[in-house]
Amino acid sequence: MVDQPLQPFAPPSALFAQLHLPDTISAGVAVTWALYIVFAFWALYTLVAVYHWLKYSHASWVAFPAIALHLFISFALMAYALSGNAFSLTPYLP
Amino acid sequence: MKEFELEPGEHVVLQVRKHWFLFLAELLPYAIMAIVPFALPKLLVLAPPLAQYAAFFDFTTPLMRAAFGVWLLVTWTGAWSAFTRYFLNAWVLTNQRIATIKQQRFFNREVSSLLLPRVQDVTTNISGVVFSLLGIGDIKVQTASEDVEFVMRGIPRPEQMRDLILKYVSTKPQTTNI
Repeated sequence: MVDQPLQPFAPPSALFAQLHLPDTISAGVAVTWALYIVFAFWALYTLVAVYHWLKYSHASWVAFPAIALHLFISFALMAYALSGNAFSLTPYLP
Repeated sequence: MKEFELEPGEHVVLQVRKHWFLFLAELLPYAIMAIVPFALPKLLVLAPPLAQYAAFFDFTTPLMRAAFGVWLLVTWTGAWSAFTRYFLNAWVLTNQRIATIKQQRFFNREVSSLLLPRVQDVTTNISGVVFSLLGIGDIKVQTASEDVEFVMRGIPRPEQMRDLILKYVSTKPQTTNI
């Protein structure tokens, strides 16, 4: 095997610059749709988890605060991922 | 209780879950995952050959912010899922039986009962320095038939649980038809 010098690591922005997306789709739109797909999986998972909480938590008082906290934190993180604003979490995020 | 119907005269004596320390231990990987994006740029700066890569963690760009948001969302959902599993797994002692409720994963739930008159032997086991200090241990409840045994792992104050089981075993003497 021929020795070759190590190639420098390509940063993600350079990778995106090399992506040849169709002219009609911008990188920003692709990222947004990728986020929507992730959020759809999150919604499905949350729906199943909430079903289990409500069915099996024996009407415990913990169920509703736990679900509410999960929804609040998740929506804040989604808002951060989409727009950079994350309700009251924004000061703590980079 | 919706999982199993209580018999007339039956009441719940104690309901226990895994010790909170074991739950926190389950959260540790998620805590590390959450800290990594904050800590990695600072750690990379400390290593001169890798310092140039610290610039990639620029969370002012939409792409990095989206990646960071998704990373934290996955981490948070995983941690919340761990709490869900912790909460939905329980052992219930009534004055007539012991019930174990195992939520192994979503849509996989096992509820089993052991009548107290069938209990022959109750063994507790606490091993390790941390477990001894925090009072975390296991209980093994055995019946006359060798293949039936209930094991509760990582519960708080197992001696108290054992004493309660033995108390309710002895307060309801087994009746025979002889």
